[in-house]
Amino acid sequence: MSQIQARFFTEDKRYVVDDVPFSIPAASEVQELSNVINKLLEAKNASHSKVEFDFLVRGQFLRTSLSAHMETESILTEEVVEIEYVERITAPEPEECMMHDDWISSADADAEWILTGSYDKTARIWSTEGKPVMTVPGHTDVVKDVAWVKREGLTSLLLTASLDQTVLLWEWNSERNKVEARHCCRGHAGSVDTISVDPTGTKFCSGSWDKMLKIWSAVPTDEQDEIEEPADRPRKKQKTQQLGLTRTPLMTLSGHSEAVSSVLWCDSEEVCSASWDHTIRIWDVDTGGMKTTLTGSKVFNCISYSPLCRRLASGSTDRHIRLWDPRTKDGSLVLLSLTSHTGWVTAVKWAPSHEHQLVSGSLDNLIKLWDTRSCKAPLYDLAAHEDKVFCVDWTESGLMLSGGADNKLYTYRYSAQQAEA
Amino acid sequence: RLEASGSHRSRPSSVLCVMHLEYKDIRNTVGNIPVEWYKDFPHIGYNLDGKKIYKPIRNKDELDDFLDKMENPEYWRTVHDKQTGSDIVLSDDQVELVNRLQRGQFGDVNFNEYEPMVEFFSSDVMIHPITNRPADKRSFIPSLTEKEKVSKLVHAIKMGWLKPRRVEDDGRGRYYDLWASEDSSILARHRMHLPAPKIPLPGHHESYNPPPEYLFTDEENCIQTHPPLWEQQDPGDRKLPFVPRKYSSLRQVPAFSHFIHERFERCLDLYLCPRQRKMRVNVNPEDLIPQLPKPKDLQPFPTTQSLVYRGHSGLVRSISVSPSGQWLASGSDDGSVRFWEVCSSRCMKMVQVGGAVKSVAWNPNPSVCLLAVVILSSERLLSAQQEGEEPAEGNGSVVWSEAEGEELNQGVRLKIQHPKAVHQVVWHAKGDYLASVMPDNTSHLQVYIHQLSRRRSQNPFSRNKGLVQCVSFHPIRPYFFVATQRSIRIYNLVKQEMTKKLQANSKWISSMAVHPGGDHVICGSYDCKLSWFDLDLSTKPYKMLRHHKKAVRGVAYHRLYPLFASASDDGSVIVCHGTVYNDLLQNPLIVPVKVLRGHVMTHDLGVLDVTFHPTQPWVFSSGADATIRLFT
Repeated sequence: MSQIQARFFTEDKRYVVDDVPFSIPAASEVQELSNVINKLLEAKNASHSKVEFDFLVRGQFLRTSLSAHMETESILTEEVVEIEYVERITAPEPEECMMHDDWISSADADAEWILTGSYDKTARIWSTEGKPVMTVPGHTDVVKDVAWVKREGLTSLLLTASLDQTVLLWEWNSERNKVEARHCCRGHAGSVDTISVDPTGTKFCSGSWDKMLKIWSAVPTDEQDEIEEPADRPRKKQKTQQLGLTRTPLMTLSGHSEAVSSVLWCDSEEVCSASWDHTIRIWDVDTGGMKTTLTGSKVFNCISYSPLCRRLASGSTDRHIRLWDPRTKDGSLVLLSLTSHTGWVTAVKWAPSHEHQLVSGSLDNLIKLWDTRSCKAPLYDLAAHEDKVFCVDWTESGLMLSGGADNKLYTYRYSAQQAEA
Repeated sequence: RLEASGSHRSRPSSVLCVMHLEYKDIRNTVGNIPVEWYKDFPHIGYNLDGKKIYKPIRNKDELDDFLDKMENPEYWRTVHDKQTGSDIVLSDDQVELVNRLQRGQFGDVNFNEYEPMVEFFSSDVMIHPITNRPADKRSFIPSLTEKEKVSKLVHAIKMGWLKPRRVEDDGRGRYYDLWASEDSSILARHRMHLPAPKIPLPGHHESYNPPPEYLFTDEENCIQTHPPLWEQQDPGDRKLPFVPRKYSSLRQVPAFSHFIHERFERCLDLYLCPRQRKMRVNVNPEDLIPQLPKPKDLQPFPTTQSLVYRGHSGLVRSISVSPSGQWLASGSDDGSVRFWEVCSSRCMKMVQVGGAVKSVAWNPNPSVCLLAVVILSSERLLSAQQEGEEPAEGNGSVVWSEAEGEELNQGVRLKIQHPKAVHQVVWHAKGDYLASVMPDNTSHLQVYIHQLSRRRSQNPFSRNKGLVQCVSFHPIRPYFFVATQRSIRIYNLVKQEMTKKLQANSKWISSMAVHPGGDHVICGSYDCKLSWFDLDLSTKPYKMLRHHKKAVRGVAYHRLYPLFASASDDGSVIVCHGTVYNDLLQNPLIVPVKVLRGHVMTHDLGVLDVTFHPTQPWVFSSGADATIRLFT
């Protein structure tokens, strides 16, 4: 068999070709198919300039020759094959490298500013161009997670969670470049490893090594919450000067039997948490009850949720990235696992504007950019780091960032035209 | 001398033909027939055109031939072609070819007869058949010709033309069993015949006239020394049971006269010494291997190295994981105690303690954060968060002291000074008591039990029962395990008596771990063995595992999963699955599941300590290469 009947189609209005079946060589690969499409487009439109395309056969990226792909996917070759083509995603371009004094534990970026947490007990604010703007000292131990809360004009609210069992809520004025600790959130009995702000920016959730999730208010006030003190606790500890007003949690969610490694808000009423007890749990914040449990077989290090495709991606210690459907009831159904890393997966993040892309970082020093339509191999490996990677993030403005144990925060520019398409 | 034969079939002679062709085609067409047939004719055959080929005029007589032989230097390479009757002088190549053929070699110089053989057909049954041709259709259809043949025979039998062969029916035919009526007991003896053991065939040594190399040299014989060396030697050490000697004739051999006697003695031996037939039991070796589940079915267990904790500069003697599983403490010979974050391999804190650290142990009580550290010549109590520790020195009894000043800031909370060098410290499961070991063969002061809340120490043993290697508390009941060099003693601390003594069957115990259920103990020894004791079963090991190549340094049980691990000087950690059943009738199931390698051998030392994560199926190992490794 040397020829296959194929019909090409695309979602992209710019590159539409006629909807007629073509006979193409079965051994043709992506490059040849791309040439075919380019020829067709040139015939239609003389001003067409050459574009590289990627091809999808039944929702899977074509990576080998067409006949080999159809054989592995067990697609009949007698019928006309529907081949979708999209513009090829170009490799992310490295942009900036921001040196820190110590390991980077976490990073959070918005359109203008990048916030990083570091093992030198400080958080830092950088501009997206890589200029250091501000260092936020205040914690007495390693900063484990950071998050932007909201921005109103020039003042921004940000959160830092630390190994010293507290979460600090800061107010930062970008014009005067002054940072002020507004609240010190006390209540956890272990290191606070992860925080996540709800979509409205009024609440946030924290997960800790003490197996608890706590929901806090993220609105700064001028009142101090009363903290009920254990009677037998020596008062000595409290004397240490404290930044900001004490705040106590609105709600505590308990149920995990091991440390909570990652939390996030699925929507404004739902919190999802991953833990070392091999489960992902979804909680209802209104009632404070648990809704769903997804059970895995290995420790979960990180999770990410994409509202575009409504999938959870989890990174675990067995080197796999797994995709879950959080809506299944009491199911532990893995939709897909992406395997290519050789160390623990420490960070995963869905693309904010693309429903198929996600990025992952691992202890094997690699960042991988994945497309869920090609689950066998990642689209790109980014081998910038020289040591373990701890955090990755995307911004909607087309920036990707990663930080790790080599004290460097790298930023990459990725092709954003996919978002327009 | 070789005469070229008439046939021109071999390749070199066809070359010869081509040479003839160049000037004149006088090929003989009569073929390969005896030349004598043309003896009486003037011609010897016919050429291609059918014309006669006449014999060359040959007027050479014997004399001419002789002269030719004497004078012509080419004579030896001249051959007579009988078919054409002419003389041909062979060229150098042809002479070489003749020589090669005479030596039995191949005519072609370039032919390599020793090329490696390609085994196209081997005994291996391959998954792919050599030909994948489907069976013919005709092999499924009955043959028509056969059917025809058979029907002809059937017809012939029916018509009586063909008769079946007559069976010869004579009871006493040509062949019959001669011994059919023989007594069965005699036959049984024949059947059970045992051949006499063969004596080895005589060699040159035994010869009456051995070649000189078989005679003893002067050195071996040591004629100078009296008596000779051969006689001095023990009969078992002698190279030969006799001294070879040379005689001029067989008659002069001294044993000649004894020969008949010796033969008689041997016959007597064979006769008087009853021999017995031994039935060898044929057992399939596969059947002797017990049925064990596959390691794959016993998941989870650690399989790959995930993290390496680097930072120490000396060999890491001891590691301990905090009860929460978040922190890892390690003590090294470089005089420091380091605290690591388990999930990121980050060294969060380092305390210089001024002395090699022999042992670290994290308090199992999760509400307090204490680490006991043994420093050579002193023991301390470290509290983590901020940590505390414990050293030992002085003489007589134990001195407790609170840490102050600089040490307090470093996290040291308490020091317990011991009279001798402490080697190990262990906590009781409740976290209030800890025991320290000071190995010393000469005194009864080897073990101390300290109570933390009352700041009190006591020596539980008044007598010396041998060099104490390590101790351990029972996880539930008030028992105390003491491992000495050869055995493990179990003491009841409430009744203050010994309840059991386990015999380890090994030369020198190095380490011991108690199962979290409390009914099983594993101990590793320096002679590469790992013994599993079932306390309810016996005082002997239930199972000995000899998987390590070198001394076992550390053993550990997992708190939750049915796993145990052993670390050895051969640089490997072996993880075994060990299920313990509640049913007392069922013995523990022990399956080795994984060998974990990664540590680099340094100074002939491999892995020094091993410990499990309290909640995950992960194992930490510390090695002489100054690293700690996490396998998940």
